[in-house]
Amino acid sequence: MIKKDLSVDFLGVHFENPFLLSSSPVGNCYEMCAKAFDEGWAGVAFKTIGPKHFKVDEVSPRFDELTKEGTPFVGFKNMEQIAEHPLEQNLHDLKKLKENYPTKIIIASIMGTNEQDWEELAQLVTEAKADMIEMNLSCPQMTSHDMGSDVGTNPELVKKYCAAVRRGSDLPILAKMTPNITDMVPAAKASMDGGADGIATINTVKSIANLDIDRKTALPTVDGKGSVSGFSGKAVKPIALRFIQQLREAAGMEQLPISGIGGIETWQDAAEFLLLGATTLQVTTSVMQYGYRIVEDMKNGLMHYMEEQGIDHLSEIIGAANKSIVPVDSLNRDYKVYPKIDWDKCIGCGRCYISCFDGAHQAIQWNEEARRPTVDIDKCVGCHLCNLVCPVGAISTGEVVMKPGREGNPEDIKIESPRLTHF
Amino acid sequence: MTKKYETEAPGYTMTTVMEEAARCLLCHDAPCSKACPADTDPARFIRSVRFNNVKGAAETIRENNALGAICARVCPTEKYCELACSRTGIDCPIDIGGIQRYVTDFEQAAKMDILKQGKSNGKHIAIVGSGPAGLQVATTMLTKGYAVDIYEKNEKAGGYLTYGIPEYRLPNDIVEYEIKRIINLGANIHYNTTVGDDIMMDDLKANNDAVVVAVGASESKVLPMFANNENVETAVGFLARVKEAKGNITDLPENAVVIGGGDVAMDVATTLRRLDVKNVTDMAYEEFDEFKASKKELKGTREAGVTIVDGYVPTAVNGNEVTFKHRHIDSEMTIKSNKIILAVGQRVNAANLNITIDKHEEVPYAGYGTADPKVFVTGDIAQGDKTVVWAVRKGKEVAEQIDKMIMDKDKEADLVGGNE
Repeated sequence: MIKKDLSVDFLGVHFENPFLLSSSPVGNCYEMCAKAFDEGWAGVAFKTIGPKHFKVDEVSPRFDELTKEGTPFVGFKNMEQIAEHPLEQNLHDLKKLKENYPTKIIIASIMGTNEQDWEELAQLVTEAKADMIEMNLSCPQMTSHDMGSDVGTNPELVKKYCAAVRRGSDLPILAKMTPNITDMVPAAKASMDGGADGIATINTVKSIANLDIDRKTALPTVDGKGSVSGFSGKAVKPIALRFIQQLREAAGMEQLPISGIGGIETWQDAAEFLLLGATTLQVTTSVMQYGYRIVEDMKNGLMHYMEEQGIDHLSEIIGAANKSIVPVDSLNRDYKVYPKIDWDKCIGCGRCYISCFDGAHQAIQWNEEARRPTVDIDKCVGCHLCNLVCPVGAISTGEVVMKPGREGNPEDIKIESPRLTHF
Repeated sequence: MTKKYETEAPGYTMTTVMEEAARCLLCHDAPCSKACPADTDPARFIRSVRFNNVKGAAETIRENNALGAICARVCPTEKYCELACSRTGIDCPIDIGGIQRYVTDFEQAAKMDILKQGKSNGKHIAIVGSGPAGLQVATTMLTKGYAVDIYEKNEKAGGYLTYGIPEYRLPNDIVEYEIKRIINLGANIHYNTTVGDDIMMDDLKANNDAVVVAVGASESKVLPMFANNENVETAVGFLARVKEAKGNITDLPENAVVIGGGDVAMDVATTLRRLDVKNVTDMAYEEFDEFKASKKELKGTREAGVTIVDGYVPTAVNGNEVTFKHRHIDSEMTIKSNKIILAVGQRVNAANLNITIDKHEEVPYAGYGTADPKVFVTGDIAQGDKTVVWAVRKGKEVAEQIDKMIMDKDKEADLVGGNE
């Protein structure tokens, strides 16, 4: 079995691999974290610890899933808040985890309602021997407006609370940001100005995943009513990746330390977050669906990817994609590439024909007798919708032509498939 | 003890049917839909399932096929829609029959009443026989506004559906449900009424605008060498006996030989095994590369533990000892058994119906008309395949033909009237 060094250094802390449980139900007590460590997770952001005066009172049921065709958990909606266990219990668990798993990294996620709370919690978790603090400035379903994403969208408050935590601890501080904001940069900058060392993002996206169309309210229904609450899982990955890229694009934040979160469940997802600049990776939803064991394939797959890339340390690829993601107005618009159809692979389903006619430019002609498509290059704009809908991968990129009046040599243009090709 | 006989294989759940529907490529101009003899549109109803519209899927099936829940279970889809399925180019075809079963089960559970009786047009038709073809004719005519009387010689309707296909493959409550719906549409079924005996064809002709004969091939053939042999039973007789008793029959043999290689032979052999008859041997005339039974049936029979020997014909019988010879190689075997069941084809009983039946057990000409312009044939006695899905097709076609004839006659009468 392949062996590669997956370790990363993040905010001065050494992680045996980048995979962490994110602050959520999956890291809610000593037993759970211990099992996760035994199965190979490098650390945990322990479920957010709040101040003693804030009473957590949860609803039942509290989850919902978005499905597509037969696929469950395309997205996941939850209504849980922060840790339900008493403060003393949580601190005790943190301490015991560090004692029994000294090489694993314990991140204490905390959330206060005012400066005093934040400072005190920072002190308490530091005394409990946590390795790092994560400030939860982003939970979208707190029952107090002084907590969660209502705070995280207000840069002034973010800065003030980060400064409070800085006063309470000398541990590295991550500020966990909410995606329920148009531009994350001001809040992230404010947190760094206040004393945070890095950013964890994204927390969940405010959502209504499904309605109960008979009872006419959002799911899950609680005594006949529903609420807007946080959405996570594969469906939010594109949103997470976008925010991370935009943070790393912002002036002065090109080397921003990031703990990436949002829909990670395979090594490919992990590689994507790393390539956009995340150094550690946090996971919840796929663990809730499949269990801690998913880390095995994420680690092994990532090692094979490192082998294929010819690298010995993940640090060599962290942020490697940031520079090749550019504003849309900077893209080369001088050429088009036609689809190429492999008739030996084609099974004659006609999906390319339907999608091109109904959703693109009527550029695929359909031979009814032979049940085979052909491309009409006079109409084809090279959008490659056909390529995406083909169920057997029979359509790829073919001839490149310069648009009329444009300069350039088609042979100099890098043509790649629009599909995910790396398996 | 009869549990294995009575229990149908489990169908899809809400989750698994979606998984199967998601495998469907949703083809343009879908080949599956062009391959159904009954013009069912699987591409359409699978797409409805895929987009969470099971009620719409049920409409697509039911509006086309009076026996949708039955076809879902017994149609040899491997020869039609699933043979044409594009997914075969990747791995294996979509389980179209299974999806259809899920949809029609849903239709039943949701108590959907999709078909509506047409506004009465004052016309009457009579149907002789309530098997699949007769039921489809009745349904099509009822939706067009005809009054329909069905004459059934048995005490229950359904023909081979009720008295033939075993419970584990086609539960009787499914057949009853399909028939109930047709009765609710307005069909008037006269049970225990043999046309040509209890009531005469001339009476039916006099009281109706058209008469459709759909009697089917309801009797087993008996090879002459087996005549009057007390060890011999016919497949039709055996299957009917078992189905009526819901598997509770007392005179089961310790071992049995079934002769025949079609779906009926497979049904008999599998039924025997499911009733715990220890040794069941099926002797088939056809070799496996030309086998008549559907692959699904053959597979089920093998899984039930039946020994199937292909390519042999019976040449002699002595009491309970039958000698078989291979059709092509020099090989002979003699089997002694407690019971010999013949599944070597069926014959038509059209006594007193004035219908000519040839040696192929069908009318000696194509189409549905007869020498009498008021009398039509359909189902197995009309030329063409002898499956349920073909019965549905023939039922629909003859209904359209009769409707056109009657409507044209009316138009003609109107014109004549207008000229006076």
